[in-house]
Amino acid sequence: MKKIFRSKQLQILIIGFVIAVLPFIISFKRATMTMLDTVVVYSIIALGFNILLGYAGQISLGHAAFMGIGAYMSAYITMQLHLPFLLSLLISGLVPMLLGLLLGLVALRLEGHYLAIATLGFGVTIQHIFKEWTAFTNGYSAMKPSSPSIFGFIFKSRESYFVLSIVILVLLSIFAYNLLKSKTGRALIAMRDSEHAAQAMGVSLLKYKLIAFAISAFYAGIAGSLHIHLLRYTDPNSWGIGLSLNLLAMVVIGGLASIEGSILGVVFIVVVPEIIKEIPVIGEINSLPTILTGISLILVIRFMPYGLARIMTQIKFRIQDNKVKSTAL
Amino acid sequence: MNIFFQNVIAGLETGSLYALAALGLVLIFRTTDVINFAQGEMAMFCSFIGFKLFTSLGLPYPVAFIVTIIFAVLFGFIIEKYVIRSVNKASVVSKMIVTLGLIMVISGLATALFGIDSHYLRKAITLDNLNIGGVVIQPNAIFIILVTIVIMSVLFYMIRKTLFGIAIRATAQNETTAKLMGIPVNRITSSSWIIATVLGAIAGLLIAPTTNVSTTMMGEIHLKSFIAAVVGGFGSFLGPVVGGFLIGILDNLVGYYITLKWKTVIVYGLLIVVLIFKPTGLFGKIHRKKV
Repeated sequence: MKKIFRSKQLQILIIGFVIAVLPFIISFKRATMTMLDTVVVYSIIALGFNILLGYAGQISLGHAAFMGIGAYMSAYITMQLHLPFLLSLLISGLVPMLLGLLLGLVALRLEGHYLAIATLGFGVTIQHIFKEWTAFTNGYSAMKPSSPSIFGFIFKSRESYFVLSIVILVLLSIFAYNLLKSKTGRALIAMRDSEHAAQAMGVSLLKYKLIAFAISAFYAGIAGSLHIHLLRYTDPNSWGIGLSLNLLAMVVIGGLASIEGSILGVVFIVVVPEIIKEIPVIGEINSLPTILTGISLILVIRFMPYGLARIMTQIKFRIQDNKVKSTAL
Repeated sequence: MNIFFQNVIAGLETGSLYALAALGLVLIFRTTDVINFAQGEMAMFCSFIGFKLFTSLGLPYPVAFIVTIIFAVLFGFIIEKYVIRSVNKASVVSKMIVTLGLIMVISGLATALFGIDSHYLRKAITLDNLNIGGVVIQPNAIFIILVTIVIMSVLFYMIRKTLFGIAIRATAQNETTAKLMGIPVNRITSSSWIIATVLGAIAGLLIAPTTNVSTTMMGEIHLKSFIAAVVGGFGSFLGPVVGGFLIGILDNLVGYYITLKWKTVIVYGLLIVVLIFKPTGLFGKIHRKKV
């Protein structure tokens, strides 16, 4: 019995189930529910981004573009082509994935800063295309898709949407967990730690960079699709460098190379500003969340490079270290 | 033909500003191996200070300009000393992420302090336009181009010939060895951040008449300065200037002759193509990574 519960997949399932049921037990305000929904949606993209940055060690400052493509794809398919939501969800994951492969090819030749600059340029270009290609994106008049329906059931209430996105998040988390525990995951980590050493061990950089970019782009696309159907509104301004930076902050603050960390980071970035808003006087400064996110990002890198997810382990190690030192003296 | 030259001159003018910002990037990169993604934001903040000095305090333009540069010196010093140096031991990617965090902090602060409106700031030189054989040239454009070339030459001379330059190059090659040779590494990195911030502030003040002073004013220039640095190569000071001029001219010509709507996409496309085929840039040397 104990053995079964130790399986991480089952743990994810149980936690997911408990969280999904929660809103039906405690009834939240609609605004709180929207916030929780956004947390789940961003968790999906953060998870994908963590596979890229945390496990494969590849930086991208253009991931908002993938999320945007997913969102617009999904809206276009359900609104213009009148195809079912599930199909649009799948396609809006696959199209960014193809583009992700392309970016992976670019990453094969570049590293570190150059990759960051290239992906930054990619993100800005795509955002510009969103602005100009109004036939597809509707430009600043915005896309307003209706609530999604699966087999006749319409996910109109925030609670039902929460269940839907939790289900997808759980599936993708289990997939990520299995993937990262497999040969692929080990190859990604080897590549992150040293490309040359990995190559010497027979890890194909081409294959694994492509895999990392494709998977993270797929996750981003899915998140985009869920995002647009949740808020039922999007315009090109949502998919800029600001979102890409926030995404980076989520993953770094939460904890690189950690599935729980990705989600913790999202909670931090989404929920903290909402709490600050409630504080009188300071809460009135609109840009305060941005400032705080930036400061936390810097502080996390300075003081806890392993992120919120591993803070307990870090403290434990620190205490052990001190003990060793004191006995040595 | 006149229109062509008109576009080229306009391209040189904006290109100089890209080059100025790019020089700052390259200077910091060469001394500390960090790419300062917050360069544009820092320049924006300095421009706002300049704007406030000029309008709210009513200082004459040259005085406001100089006080802004003094502010930039302090600003660069503080950022380097209290933010960048504190993460000295982190990896290169982590340092880059710190500068990305700085973007958020500085732009957030600017929004909180100065609001989100955009304001007009006058040109540095407001003489009558020159007309040379049908090509109209603004004295301000000539001023901007000259400033860039002078700054580039000074930097070039400094890096090549002075003790400071040798110290910068030594620090770039190996920090520990540089320290052992008695080079005050901290002071060197501090000064390169200060110079870079000043360059950014100058670029910001000079671009202000075209873009207006606002929190988003440096967005495009900042990105294009990256492209300038990439196209020219991070390895030299000549590269970014040539890269800046190229981007500026190309930007104008594409906008005029091909399409205004898609010019940004085309220019960024060029960036990605250059990165793929010549990652070290036009003037860069091949940099082999040691295992």
